[in-house]
Amino acid sequence: MKRMTTLSGAALLTAALAALTGCVETAGTTVTTDHMTGSSLVMEDSTRLRDQIQMLKVNYDEVNGLKRVHITLQSSKHRRLRLNYRIAWFDANGMEVDAATKTYRNLILEGRDTVTVTGLANSPACVTSKLRVRDLEAAD
Amino acid sequence: MKQAMWAMTGVAAAALWLTGCASTPTVREVALDRAPISSKLEPQDVRRTVEKMTESLLSAPGVREAVGGTRPVLDVEPLKNRTTQHVDMVSITDSLRMQLLRSGMFRFVDKSTSGTDIEFMDAQANLGLTDQKKAIKPGQQSAAQMYLTGALSEIKTQVGRTVDQYYKFSMVLKDLRSGELVWADEQEIRKESVKPRVGF
Repeated sequence: MKRMTTLSGAALLTAALAALTGCVETAGTTVTTDHMTGSSLVMEDSTRLRDQIQMLKVNYDEVNGLKRVHITLQSSKHRRLRLNYRIAWFDANGMEVDAATKTYRNLILEGRDTVTVTGLANSPACVTSKLRVRDLEAAD
Repeated sequence: MKQAMWAMTGVAAAALWLTGCASTPTVREVALDRAPISSKLEPQDVRRTVEKMTESLLSAPGVREAVGGTRPVLDVEPLKNRTTQHVDMVSITDSLRMQLLRSGMFRFVDKSTSGTDIEFMDAQANLGLTDQKKAIKPGQQSAAQMYLTGALSEIKTQVGRTVDQYYKFSMVLKDLRSGELVWADEQEIRKESVKPRVGF
């Protein structure tokens, strides 16, 4: 019995130390929008982020021959959230267009606030956009 | 009881050993858009600025009106650095030009490489190595119709252990013929760093 208690304590201590020193979840929420059909698909891969933000609305238009997407996000929390988001663009074959030029941007969301993020396609060939939101802790 | 304490200490030491505590620096590749590590201007700030400015310029109604279906010839002037930091402004200009070039909305000339153009033309005309029928003669290059320029400025405030750093990228697109500003935008970045109470 004593041995079991010792082992349990040791395992708990190891888990706590590992949690304190790393093991950050990097999965996030993605919103994929097909600009040809107007359909959007929301994937919430992070249980933590799912409880923090919700996707409210997706609008899209075209400006100077380039597609543009506006996605409205709402905080479910009362505290300030520090997030990162990136909007990537894909051509008709599903290939990402100029991936290196689309970066993760900062998003500081106040408690229960709503914000609209906008992304512009980098080429007229882009037909699908994908918003990816991640926790700031997921950034290296 | 003593045995349990020893076991706990051993596990804690093993966990620390597994997760870090090395005396030699560990080198690894990190994502381009990593989390900030200082209050100075960092590569991810520059990348975000370039992306934001490009998107703003390409979607501006004024630019659409000025371009009007043509592909005007554009030159990108290096941004002026008004900060106390060394920032490679030419590199920022290069990134901006690359992203605008890929959009296909503009044609580009580069004033900064004109000296090299003259050297090539001189060599083609005078060294006797080039077929003179094929040699490129001066006076045929496209003229810039618009130019893009801007500046980076900063405000630094330090109160106690807290350093508050504010940066502002301002950019304008000017029509050379009319002298009008076709587009202007700015990107603001504010960072805060707090020094530890105890440090060496």
